[in-house]
Order: sequence, then structure tokens, then C-alpha cells
Amino acid sequence: MFKELDPILHSQLRLAVVSLLIGLKEAEFTFIREKTNATAGNLSVQLQKLKDAGYIEVIKQFKDNYPQTTCRITPQGIAAFEAYVNDLQSYLQTGK
Amino acid sequence: MSQSANNEQSEFSPEESLQLIRQMISKTRHSVAMDSFYFLFWGWLVFLCCVGQYVLKVYWDFPQHYYVWFLMPVGGVISGIYSYRQARKQQVVTYVHSALSYLWVGLAISFIVLAYVSISGKNWQHAFTYYILLYAIGTFVSGRLLQFRPLVIGGLINFALVVISAGASYDNQLLLGALALLTSYIIPGHLLRNASAKKL
Repeated sequence: MFKELDPILHSQLRLAVVSLLIGLKEAEFTFIREKTNATAGNLSVQLQKLKDAGYIEVIKQFKDNYPQTTCRITPQGIAAFEAYVNDLQSYLQTGK
Repeated sequence: MSQSANNEQSEFSPEESLQLIRQMISKTRHSVAMDSFYFLFWGWLVFLCCVGQYVLKVYWDFPQHYYVWFLMPVGGVISGIYSYRQARKQQVVTYVHSALSYLWVGLAISFIVLAYVSISGKNWQHAFTYYILLYAIGTFVSGRLLQFRPLVIGGLINFALVVISAGASYDNQLLLGALALLTSYIIPGHLLRNASAKKL
């Protein structure tokens, strides 16, 4: 039986964000937007979903009088990403 | 909502998912870079201080030859302002970047502590041996973390210079210090700057 892929991560933009953050300590909203080619609105919505799931931490602060959003993956997010990759592997191996 | 979010489960196969993960991870791989500014700025500044003190002491017989080291706090202020400005521009922090920052903050504190120990204990005779040892640790570890061979080689050369310096007179230690900075900071710093320019 296949394990269902984590619906939070099995979405292009959310998976892209988590894959970026997995190798970084933290990244700014603008960096994530640039690397994923997402629109600011869509990215905000997806970041909120990841935050609600406890996969990322979103830190909002002011820098030079401009709001700045920084994202960081949580231990729960790392565990979920690892589980997702394992599930993907079993899918691909069975498919061969 | 954009297309990427609308595509969610329907057209998103496990193969595409894996490809996306690979693609994103490769985008962060090039974020690991160290600013050559610190190596060049400190390399040249301390190099000139070593050579300057040597000339003042050996050739000019100037009694306050050690005055050149008053440039260190000035360098600290310039370096501090630069790093504060850079931190404000920075959009991403990698683990390697954090490790490098902690390493160099630790070494900067060691430089200050060692200066205090040497002044208070009046034991300047071997101070440079320990300074070169700290340069060796800093550049060797940075070179390994950045996978940048010139820094690793510079660090290894400095470990050898520490051994030579242990038996050298204070005057010769100044010249060995200058050589240490040339091999571990200045040459790798220029090479690092060229490598970063090519990457951009």
C-alpha cells in the first residue's frame, strides 16, 4: 500500500520553498520569491500554510523602516521533508 | 492564485516533485560565498603593520616602534561598520556562512585576548607565534568550509611558519608574520575575489 504523500508538501510552490529552506539557515521573502519565480501574493499564502502546519517559522521585523519577512525551516519541517522524500522514493521504486 | 499553486496535486507527479527538489537545492548551492573584503583588508593592514614595525625598529631605531598597532582598533571599527552594512543587505544565511561568522568572531576575540595577555604579561617575545597559529586555524577551517584550496594551502603554510617562528627572534617574527599574512590572507584573498567575480 502506498502511503499518501504529505498534502502540505505535495504542492509545487510549497515544496519549492521547503526544498530551498532545507539547505539554508534562513532566507528573506524576496530571496524565496526570486528563486521560486512566484508572485508575492501567492507566496504569502503558501508561506502561511507552511507556517500553520508548523513546517516553517516566519519572522517579521522592520529593516530601514521597511517590513522584512524572514523564513526558517523548523525541526518538524525537516522531519516532514525527509518523510516526503522517503515516500517519493518508495513510489518511484515501485513504479519501476 | 498563480499557476504553480493551482497545479497542486493534479498534474504534479512524483518524478516532477523530485526534479523540483533537485532544482531548488542546486539554487542554494551557489549561495555559499565569503566576502574577500575581510581577508584583503586585514591581510594588507596587518602586513603593513608588521613591515612598518620592522622598519621602525630595525632600520630607524624608533623606540615607540609598536605604535603601528594602534591601527588595529581603527581597523576593527572599519571592519565592524562594513559587516553591519553587509548584514543589512544580506537576503539569505547559509549554515556555512554562520559557521564562518562564529569562527571569525571567536578568532577576533582571541586576537584581543592575546594582545591583552601579551601586554599585561610583558611577554611579546612569542606573541607572533601564537598570532600566526590563529591565522592558520582561521584560514584552514575557512578554506575547508568554502572548499577553496588557496585558503587551505595558506593555512597549512602558516602551521609550518608557527614552528619556524617558535625559534625566531622578535624582529624575525615580524617578517614571518608578514609572510604568514601574504600566504594565508592576501594571496588567497585576491584569488577569492577573482573567483567570486567570475561566478557573478
